[in-house]
Amino acid sequence: MLSRLDPRSWPITVKVPLAVASLMVLVGLILSERVLARLADTQERHLRDLAQSYLDGLSSAVAPSMLRDDTWEVFDAIERARDLHRSLRPLETVVSHADGRVIAASDPRRHPVGSSSEERQRVQVAGAESFSFEAGADTATAVRKLSYPGQTVGFIEAVFDTRHLAAERRGVMLALVATNGLLTLLLATAGWLLVARMMRPVTILTNHLGLARGVSAVPIAEDVVVRQRGEFGRLFRAYNALAASMDERETLVKKLAEEERLGSLGRLASALAHEINNPLGGLFNALATLRTHGHLAHVRANAIGLLERGLVGMRDVVRTTLAVYREEKRPRDLVASDLADLQLLIAPEARRKSVSVTLENALDGTLPLPSTPVRQAILNLLLNAVAASPEGAGVVLNASVSGGLFVASVRDRGPGLPEAAAQVLVGPMAVTPLRDGGGLGLWTTRRLVSELGGRIEVDHPGEGGTLLRLVIPLRSAQELSDVA
Amino acid sequence: MLAEGSASPDRRRLLAAAVAVFLARGAQAGEAAPAGKIRFGLTPVFLNNDLELLGRLQGYLERATGHPVSLITRRTYQEITALLTTRQIDAAWICGYPFVTHRSELQLVAVPLWRSRPLYQSYVIVGSDSEARDVSDLAGGIHAFSDPDSNSGFLVTRALLAEMGLRPERFFARAFFTYGHRNVIRAVASGLAGSGSVDGYVYEVMAQIEPELTGRTRVLRRSEWLAFPPVAAPRMPLDEIRLAKLAEALLAMPAHLDGRAVLAMLRLDGFAREEASLFDAIAAKVYLLARAG
Repeated sequence: MLSRLDPRSWPITVKVPLAVASLMVLVGLILSERVLARLADTQERHLRDLAQSYLDGLSSAVAPSMLRDDTWEVFDAIERARDLHRSLRPLETVVSHADGRVIAASDPRRHPVGSSSEERQRVQVAGAESFSFEAGADTATAVRKLSYPGQTVGFIEAVFDTRHLAAERRGVMLALVATNGLLTLLLATAGWLLVARMMRPVTILTNHLGLARGVSAVPIAEDVVVRQRGEFGRLFRAYNALAASMDERETLVKKLAEEERLGSLGRLASALAHEINNPLGGLFNALATLRTHGHLAHVRANAIGLLERGLVGMRDVVRTTLAVYREEKRPRDLVASDLADLQLLIAPEARRKSVSVTLENALDGTLPLPSTPVRQAILNLLLNAVAASPEGAGVVLNASVSGGLFVASVRDRGPGLPEAAAQVLVGPMAVTPLRDGGGLGLWTTRRLVSELGGRIEVDHPGEGGTLLRLVIPLRSAQELSDVA
Repeated sequence: MLAEGSASPDRRRLLAAAVAVFLARGAQAGEAAPAGKIRFGLTPVFLNNDLELLGRLQGYLERATGHPVSLITRRTYQEITALLTTRQIDAAWICGYPFVTHRSELQLVAVPLWRSRPLYQSYVIVGSDSEARDVSDLAGGIHAFSDPDSNSGFLVTRALLAEMGLRPERFFARAFFTYGHRNVIRAVASGLAGSGSVDGYVYEVMAQIEPELTGRTRVLRRSEWLAFPPVAAPRMPLDEIRLAKLAEALLAMPAHLDGRAVLAMLRLDGFAREEASLFDAIAAKVYLLARAG
């Protein structure tokens, strides 16, 4: 929620129109302020001129009457001046003596003849000649001092109705706000459309890159690339080239994995041949014994027993190999006996190196995991462990299920997994197989486990050697986590 | 040639003399009383500033008398009275007060008939929101008089105060003259003055013409019926015939269409010959004041 409020996280299609709108609002504010200030100036000047002419006319009309203290003439002059200056809208006019006593006022009830108010005296003492108008106010006030050769005779104080000016100002302000608002909206919309149009290639690219996060990059359709000119056209072509090279790489990797499978098969095949070859000498001996002493019943039975045991051993070896490397038409789930098969499969190689392989199998029944990649991954680790173990040492394979996770650990007593090899297992996916060809098995294991959504942990126990642990979520748990 | 040459100067002299005589006569006519022109003075007794009324009155008088008529108006009663007493005008419509005070120099020509009588009243008016019940409540207020030479707009109220042993300048906090009955109504209506002395006839006519103005006032006191402001002439008329024609025209007004139009505008019924004794009531007030000092 907070990150959505952070402007830096907003899409550019929002930022640009917002920036345009903000600038327009700023420009609008400055312009409006100038226009209103100018309007206030004009209104004040106009009003001041009108007020001056009103006061000039009234002054000349009342000055002689003021000297005579002729209330009626002054009153009549005020009334006539009001009729003459209707456009100025005089609200109230008070003509008073120099000491503030009223001679006559436009509203004698508010300002009775002869009365004097402190407020008026203060106004008159403060500024003999003044004009005050505030933009937006309802009234303006003007004071005129009347002098008759050098001596102050009295004052004229006039209040004018300026509501029409205030209304005009409000009208101008409304027009400014409406115009600026409309312009801002138009420009922001135009900015949004423009940016959205300019950003369309970026969106296409982003969508394709989003797809590429999976296995391989999807190239942008050729017709889209052709339509796009300029830098985005070049960008699209560059992206497509990248996608193609990624695709090539992916193909290469698959080929490598296949080769590795065949490579390990080769190694196993040679071990298998060795395994079959060893009892063969005994079997031929038994055959020779049969040929020579076959007529002797106890010798015959002994030789046949020997032959049968040897053939059963060979059959088991061959069957296991077939079971492991059979091209399975339909993937099946991992069963507990698959691990025993692995032990059988590794046995010849282990025997060749005088290494014992112990299985601690805590599994029971069927596990919701594809059998082939799991077996391949564990076999690779076992092969690696056997190869690393010194003569006479033991390798322990432990398999268990806990908390929806299938855990298989392989422990050896070797010199410890080199850091480079460990990086192949647990480092970033981009790490390539080791240059010298070694470690291809580890790299393949890593890929297989990753594809199953699992991980590999490398540990160096205190008593020496290496402990490799495969942790693979069971399919149901994995699916649940995907849903979540 | 010679004969003609000798005769020529004579002829020229004759011509010059004739021109001189003509010019002299012309100059005489221009300076003094214009040949047959009636000069009729008007005080602001009635509705002032009514140019249409003045035009119609002048038109009627010119047709009825057969003389050109010049209507003369001034701001104050005093100026018109002075023109009359100094015999600069043939006649004038003045107030009963100056008529009484200049009785010896003036003669009565005609008196207007209002509501069929040559009488009117003086009103003391106050603002419609005033709480005053009689004239004594006006003490300490501001009072608007019409004209110091007006009967209804000054004399009546002053005499009333004098009967109570009072003087306006002490009774009122302030009093001023507006030089017009309509102005008195305006002053009271606007609140400029708390009360005013006004011609009852003018007030009633104004109540018909400008009810929204008189509506802001009310009549506090009506005086007794007094002689209506008369048309007067110098006791020694400028021209007897012209004056007779003028009097005739005034008395015959209701008989003529345009005369009736003028009377209708003035809300008057006509003019009548009256005895000077009609003004005795006013004279009594003048006497009262003279005694009061």
